[in-house]
Amino acid sequence: MPLRPHLIPSVLLAWCITIGAVAQEIQFNAQVDRTSISTGEYVKCTISLTNSRDRFEAPSFGGLVVVQGPFDNSSFTIVNGRMSGSTSRTWVLTATAPGKYTIGAARTRVGNGIIETEPITIEVTKGAGQHTDPSASQGQSRDPNLFITISVSKNKAYVGEQIVATYMLYSRYNSLETTKSDMPKLEGFWAENVELGETNWDPQLSTVNGLQYRTATLKKQVLLPQRPGKLRIAPFTMECVVNRSFFNRGSEVSIRSNPVEITVSALPPGAPPDFNGAVGELDMTVAVDRTQVKANEAIELTVMYSGKGNLKLMEAPALNLPGDLEMYDPKLTDKLNLSGGGMSGSRTYQFLIIPRHEGDFPLPPITFSYFDTRSNGYRTITGPSVTLEVSPGDGSTAAVQRPNRSDVQVLGKDIRYLRTGDLELRPKGAHLFGSAIWLTGMGAPLLGFLLFLGWRRRREAALNDTAGTRRKQADRVAREHLNEAAQALKNSDRNTFYTALGRSIHGYLGDKFGWGPAEITAVNIRSRLGAFPQGASLADELVDLLEACDMARYAPVEDRPRQQLYDSAAALIGRTEQIVRA
Amino acid sequence: MRTLLSLALLATTIHVSSMTVMEADSLVAQGTRAYAAGDHATALARFDSALTAYSSPALLYNIANCHYKLGDIPHAVLYYERAARLSPGDPDIRTNLEIARQSVVDRVNELPGFSLGSTWGRIRGGRDGDQWARRSLWICLAFFVVLAIAVVVRQRILRRGLFVGSALLFCATLLAVAFAAARHHELTDTSEAIIMSAKVDVRSEPKGSGTVLFVLHKGTKVTILQQQQGWSEVQLANGNVGWMPPATLERI
Repeated sequence: MPLRPHLIPSVLLAWCITIGAVAQEIQFNAQVDRTSISTGEYVKCTISLTNSRDRFEAPSFGGLVVVQGPFDNSSFTIVNGRMSGSTSRTWVLTATAPGKYTIGAARTRVGNGIIETEPITIEVTKGAGQHTDPSASQGQSRDPNLFITISVSKNKAYVGEQIVATYMLYSRYNSLETTKSDMPKLEGFWAENVELGETNWDPQLSTVNGLQYRTATLKKQVLLPQRPGKLRIAPFTMECVVNRSFFNRGSEVSIRSNPVEITVSALPPGAPPDFNGAVGELDMTVAVDRTQVKANEAIELTVMYSGKGNLKLMEAPALNLPGDLEMYDPKLTDKLNLSGGGMSGSRTYQFLIIPRHEGDFPLPPITFSYFDTRSNGYRTITGPSVTLEVSPGDGSTAAVQRPNRSDVQVLGKDIRYLRTGDLELRPKGAHLFGSAIWLTGMGAPLLGFLLFLGWRRRREAALNDTAGTRRKQADRVAREHLNEAAQALKNSDRNTFYTALGRSIHGYLGDKFGWGPAEITAVNIRSRLGAFPQGASLADELVDLLEACDMARYAPVEDRPRQQLYDSAAALIGRTEQIVRA
Repeated sequence: MRTLLSLALLATTIHVSSMTVMEADSLVAQGTRAYAAGDHATALARFDSALTAYSSPALLYNIANCHYKLGDIPHAVLYYERAARLSPGDPDIRTNLEIARQSVVDRVNELPGFSLGSTWGRIRGGRDGDQWARRSLWICLAFFVVLAIAVVVRQRILRRGLFVGSALLFCATLLAVAFAAARHHELTDTSEAIIMSAKVDVRSEPKGSGTVLFVLHKGTKVTILQQQQGWSEVQLANGNVGWMPPATLERI
């Protein structure tokens, strides 16, 4: 609490005056502890008045900002009855911008005159290493006592990359009431408000270019740019009443923050196919609580996304489980933290999987692609491939374990595949029914049957008529005997030759006319053949031949060569056949 | 024997088409390869060019599959129906026809009666259009053979049995010929048709001013009762009758 002049006890003052000291030499001067500072540093300016009880006016500080003060200091000394007193007043000053500043002259009245102090020039250089929020400096230049700012964590971002926007109030007034505030409308952003609770002054003062401010964070937002381009956050305005007190109605101040422009670039091309817009510094872990289970026991598959980024937009991964596993809807657990660093934490999906049948079930690995803001590139994380080994249930979980018969699950529907191989192509429009082939096919068996019947009838008739058969075959039998004779002729086998030759003619005549062996006589032959034209001469020749054969067989007499006999026998049979046939 | 028959059939109609059966087979093979490669349009073109001269239930079935894969449901239904008409008992054709019909908008409840899908229909229909004609040939041959044996055999009981058998075979021959004739009639005189237009107003009279009785959509099967000035009087499977404008139907 700075001392104020009027707080000096009046008793002491009265006492001083009563002493009534002789006026001493009056001194009035201004001092600074240094004349050159850099921005954010302080300069102490002290104006002291010695041996005068008068007051003095504060000088103009020429653009320097009072950080602290004034602090008053008075001292009285009485030495050997001589009293001397001095009053000094001290300010702590700073500058927000580099340049030359002049602390003007301070004036005081002495007697009837006025004395002044010498003006002091302070050189302010740009401060090095001093970190101040540029938006705060900007605000400070608008009004060093009260300003509001929007600051963002970055001015360049990718679509979907999170940006933290902070709305701050800086004040150097002792009392401040906000009456109205108008927060900017955000276009092109998906905003998530960080829960700050009630707006309070921050416990620590912050210094902007050497000036200390009470600060309050009005609002904090995590912004996710939704489209590329230059996105602008419009300035927001506040109306405040400052310096209101019991005696003072205060004054209304309207303040306006700086606008913010953010350059949003589109995500580079070449996104993996499963990329669905996740941006940030992310990670994924996949865990299965166990891989060896019995049928009908539950398995928990946990997929956890963690890191910094738009985790709230992460959807449940597609598992593509083999068909025989039953899966329930995943349980979602969020451990999200919205803070000055943006959204971070983890989002966990827990899947409950129940295998209904024994066997090995390989679970396809889960992949997750996102745009990594650290490396400015796409990254794909592939989870481990897990194989569930399901053994048959042993009945401990269920009372009765029956072989679980279930319908084959129809997973999709499609038409059956093409016919391949021989398609049995037929000429188009050709019908078998009614075609010539069909008619032939139907008629042929009938015809065949009729022929069969006819053949059979003739055969039966022939079987009943043995004489006819003999007659028909007479020529063939005779020729067989003639062949035999020809063989004997070649072998010069006399006996066999004559026997075969005789038999051929005997047999032929017997068969032809239905005679027994005894009936073949010259008389019979002549009478039978005589009925035919030219039959008489033929009969004579036949009888002559037969006699010649008999002679040769039973007596060693051969009046004709054998060859001649043979030839005439063959000719006779042929001629007889002709005659009888005709 | 069947190949002999088909060769003989080929010989009778060889002058009709310039394409040999070998060429048709190679077209079919190309189509099958294209289908396997997923190029259904090419497959359809190959099968269609084979169909210009040759036909078979399997070829029609393949063409229908191509149409189905290309999303042309009315044509798929049309060709499945054609294939099913030739070979009513074929399970593949029936299954795919059912699947294709599920994409048809109109659901018409069929009147109870004989359809080619029933057992009787399968017996009557046979494997392809010529089956009963072939059967009639075989049964006729069997009848005469048995009759011939019966004539020859002397043993009394056997002879009597064979005569009875031949009498039965004679009846079977008549029945087979009747079936073959019925099938032939069915195949040559097609009164059933599939709607090809996306939407057809079925009117009470064969002119555009007639009252709209009901609206049908592509893929629905109708029976054509008669035709006048291009308009067709059609009957639905549920018995409803109305007139349809020209060029909206394709006969099965």
